[in-house]
Amino acid sequence: MNKEQIKKIILGAFGVIGLLYVYFAFFLGPLNKSRYSMAGRMAELQNKLISSKAEIANVARLEANARAATARYDALLAFYPEGAPIAWFPPRIRMFFSNQQIDKSSARLEGTTGFTGKELSSWNKYSWIIDLPQSDFGTLGRALAALENSEPLLSVTRLRIHATTEDPEFQQVSLTALTIIGKK
Amino acid sequence: MPLQLNLLHEEISQERQRKRDPLKLSMYVAAGLAGLLALNYLWCAYRKLSIKAHLSAIERDWSKAEPQVTEAQKRAEQLNGIISTTMTLDQFIDNRFFWAPMLEKISRCVTPNLQITNLDGLIEDQSKTITISLEGTAAGREPRAVAEDFRQMLLEQVGKEQPAVKVEFKALEDLDTLISVGGNNVPAAHFIVSVSLNPESKAPASGPGERKSKSKKEES
Repeated sequence: MNKEQIKKIILGAFGVIGLLYVYFAFFLGPLNKSRYSMAGRMAELQNKLISSKAEIANVARLEANARAATARYDALLAFYPEGAPIAWFPPRIRMFFSNQQIDKSSARLEGTTGFTGKELSSWNKYSWIIDLPQSDFGTLGRALAALENSEPLLSVTRLRIHATTEDPEFQQVSLTALTIIGKK
Repeated sequence: MPLQLNLLHEEISQERQRKRDPLKLSMYVAAGLAGLLALNYLWCAYRKLSIKAHLSAIERDWSKAEPQVTEAQKRAEQLNGIISTTMTLDQFIDNRFFWAPMLEKISRCVTPNLQITNLDGLIEDQSKTITISLEGTAAGREPRAVAEDFRQMLLEQVGKEQPAVKVEFKALEDLDTLISVGGNNVPAAHFIVSVSLNPESKAPASGPGERKSKSKKEES
């Protein structure tokens, strides 16, 4: 091979290298890049679709399992009427004790607090003071039992019974009751 | 053997040189390579197009499924909220302390020569400990013994269901005045008994300390 031919070979080799570079850098590279990104997106969507099917099935199962809880929740929510509790709770208590042969009774709101926990964020805690100025012990016991059984969301936190000197048959009673009432 | 003379030697060698021209050869190689690369490019483009078609089909499916999934997620969150709320409310309902049975037990312990004048019961918010203070008057030949009988009976009655109950005297003092019981004037004593119990706590195991106190009682 003479010098001229070697020059031509080197030139040809450069040409081939240039061709390969142009092909990989400007043609195949972008094409593959976009193909890989599409494949990635496709895999992601496929995973989402599979997990979404599982999630929908889980919700259906949860719905079936939560039927009892939902019914109980609705029942507890419907346990108290709508409106401000201060408007209906005292008359309700008066009516209750009147039905239990305790004619004199009064209820007043002591305070309201919300719950800090997430579970009861839509419920409020109401503290009531219920005064029964004239009640005998036996009747009070029966009325209290009836109250505790008929009002599941009511808990008596303080009970004071004081015997009066004027009428030893009767006692003065004061109850502090806590009720949990849903915000409607 | 006949003699052969090649008179076109130069022309033939030039022709050979032209055929072996490296530039020409490299051009052929380059053209071949370019053809192969073009084929490869077309193959890759075809694959990309098929992936694109597949991707658009999946995207269509996802656009249909996405609202359902969002709705399902919301519903799941709502249902989990309802379940946890119901559980918390049920826990509140189950953990309530019922006062009526306690009043019944107290009434069972009150004998005709004993009168309770004040009852103050309280459930502590944090510890859930229930403390009941009973204030009253006991009358009899030995009024302190009457009050002690009341305390013992109360401990027995409440202790049936609440073994960890404590029934203690906070005060017990003789009164100067006499009280008429069944037509007889007898001395009286004023007492304050404190009952404390925690329905959530378990019964303490009987340890040597308890045995000691029992033996002390027996001795006295």
